[in-house]
Amino acid sequence: MKIALAGNPNSGKTTLFNAITGRIEHVGNWAGVTVAKKEGAVKKALNKTGVSMSVVDLPGAYSISPFTSEESITSGFVKNEKPDVIINVVDASNLNRSLFFTTQLLELGIPLVVALNKSDLLLKRNLTIDSEKLSVLLGCPVVNTVSTKRRNNGLVELISESAGRVGSQQISPFRSPKVNLFDPSSVDDADRDRFSFVNDLVYKVEMRKKGSDKYALQDKVDRFLANKWLGIPVFAMVMWTVFAISQTYAGPFLADLLVGWIDGLYVFVEGLIDGKVSPILQSLLLDGIIGGVGAVVGFLPLIMVLFWLLAILEDVGYMARVALIMDRFFKKVGLSGKSIIPMIISTGCAIPGIMATRTIKNERQRRTTAMLTPFMPCGAKLPVIALFAGVFFKDAAWVGTAMYFTGIGIIIAGALIVVRITGDTNARSYFIMELPEYRIPSIKRATSSMLARGKAFIVKAGTIILLCNAVIQIMQSFNWKFQMVAEGDESTSILAGLANPFAFLLIPLGFGVWQLAAAAITGFIAKENVVGTLAVVYSITNFIDTEELALVSGGADVASIMGIGSVAALSYLVFNLFTPPCFAAIGAMNSEMNSRKWLWAGIGFQFSMGYSLSFLTYQIGTLITTGAVGTGFLPGLAFVLLISGYFAYLMKRDDKETVPQLKMSF
Amino acid sequence: MSEAYADIMLDGNIMIKNLSEGSVNTEYIISDIKTDDPELKNFLFSLGCYEGEKVKIISRLAGNLVISVKNARYSIGSDLAEVIII
Repeated sequence: MKIALAGNPNSGKTTLFNAITGRIEHVGNWAGVTVAKKEGAVKKALNKTGVSMSVVDLPGAYSISPFTSEESITSGFVKNEKPDVIINVVDASNLNRSLFFTTQLLELGIPLVVALNKSDLLLKRNLTIDSEKLSVLLGCPVVNTVSTKRRNNGLVELISESAGRVGSQQISPFRSPKVNLFDPSSVDDADRDRFSFVNDLVYKVEMRKKGSDKYALQDKVDRFLANKWLGIPVFAMVMWTVFAISQTYAGPFLADLLVGWIDGLYVFVEGLIDGKVSPILQSLLLDGIIGGVGAVVGFLPLIMVLFWLLAILEDVGYMARVALIMDRFFKKVGLSGKSIIPMIISTGCAIPGIMATRTIKNERQRRTTAMLTPFMPCGAKLPVIALFAGVFFKDAAWVGTAMYFTGIGIIIAGALIVVRITGDTNARSYFIMELPEYRIPSIKRATSSMLARGKAFIVKAGTIILLCNAVIQIMQSFNWKFQMVAEGDESTSILAGLANPFAFLLIPLGFGVWQLAAAAITGFIAKENVVGTLAVVYSITNFIDTEELALVSGGADVASIMGIGSVAALSYLVFNLFTPPCFAAIGAMNSEMNSRKWLWAGIGFQFSMGYSLSFLTYQIGTLITTGAVGTGFLPGLAFVLLISGYFAYLMKRDDKETVPQLKMSF
Repeated sequence: MSEAYADIMLDGNIMIKNLSEGSVNTEYIISDIKTDDPELKNFLFSLGCYEGEKVKIISRLAGNLVISVKNARYSIGSDLAEVIII
């Protein structure tokens, strides 16, 4: 049997879904996190029927008539797939608005069970809801649930009620009169009747104590956090704090522990196989696999701590305010306020971030957002940031923070450029977003969200990165005649041969050596590879430990082995972060844009942007630090000018294909 | 800034006021949703934003308003606020 979860945005459907199925889908305390339906089996502990039950989590909707793309997914599913039972998740603290959708669902004739969710908040609000009376008035069971609690959460009752309803006929208490759908005023009247019916219902079942303005505090906080002038600096401070904790304090501490274990493993394996196997196999195992993967896994704690802190911020309800602060900039550059959601999701991984663009109705805005969202540094780029911050900048928190703000800057500039190129400057978009209530974050929720994101990272480290490092190790150990590369002749290896032509192009950026070029190229398979590859090509498998200048473990040593200064290092970091994303993300871009022209234009734009920024970073940085421009300034400048000239030409050109239009997107 | 002038009589007629001209922390009754876009009207309706309902402006942010309708908080753009007549 199939159960569908339907309800308003941010009523707690996905949290309930996770509690019922034991899955860990991403949740956030704001509207619009779920964009596609998700399905899972009901946990054995809850399912007492013996029949297999599956639950479908649907995106939030305020109404059965589809006004937004999330709503069309929801109403389409309910109408076409005919689930056996619908669980209507109702936010108990906003009964009035939620029941509007409930009365519409009741009219479908599918048996309904109302989950009065967040019922733990009622006490705090001086609210009481008479759920028995509500059940009688609606003509369906009403179960109090608290999906965030582990016990006494009402879930067992909810599932057994749902199972009991299968096959029964749902009677609707409110019958909408015959509506002539072609007459807007007739539709209006019907809706008005519905709301007044709901108002009566709420009046009968809900008791509010007088004088409880539960929002007083929240509104005060919002005046500060979502303030016109303070919003951005506060956001910068928050991000900086997050980075300071994850990259400077807690992260490295945990990383040291982990790296110690990996080193132990290295020594242990070395002791096992030393002299017993061929040198090729030995170096493949030790430097290629343990070293390469270890270098990436060594950054796992830093990433986990960051994910955990971001999950806390989301859970508190702060992320929705960030969207609000950023909206005014997005509006000015012709994007929707909704574009911020994919970008925030992209701080975890660009792939779900790009998928989240699906909720943007206006096609140009959707494609532009899909093209720009990979500029947000994702989780896979963090080890790269952490490595360079650790080796060249003493773990300074400003490096990571600067990269995030650079990402945001590029997105805003990029959006402006795209609007000018497509000539679609007249598209306006309405912006509306529900602001969730602030709440005390849950350690448990943040931890499970961290594990969900971290899992993907570990899986990648164990598969694709392992494979890449092995391949790189082999390409580096042999020359084109398939002979072992001798000590000191590393530049004759296959890898060097392949990376050299690219390295030539990177000279104006300050890092025209084949090792760094090879690392940047492998980054397209997965960005974490940059770290692994560097570890392999320079044979340094321990990067992080800056305290004890033991064998090749000091940042200074690493810097000298790489042979680049801190300006070139920053330029290299910029290049890796702001060129096109990994292939998997490019695949996601392709599927969301569904236009070849846009895809290639997007990739071209990303590459041009990364190259130009990296060039500027290196040349200006060198000018400031040494008083003269760096190597390859003139050819690099010519190339950058050529690219920017081409984009300028595209922007100037009158694009006659596009028609100005007023599109709606919320 | 326009708030002070919102109630000025023009040729003896009271100017119609929309939500973007309202003042913070005051409760208004919505008198009309003025838009040609039925989709937008319906969407606002499903949030409980329609004629006769109460609305309150919580704060303003460079053209965006945070409003409270039926116990929920929304952030809306100025173009939307101009559609809501109070």
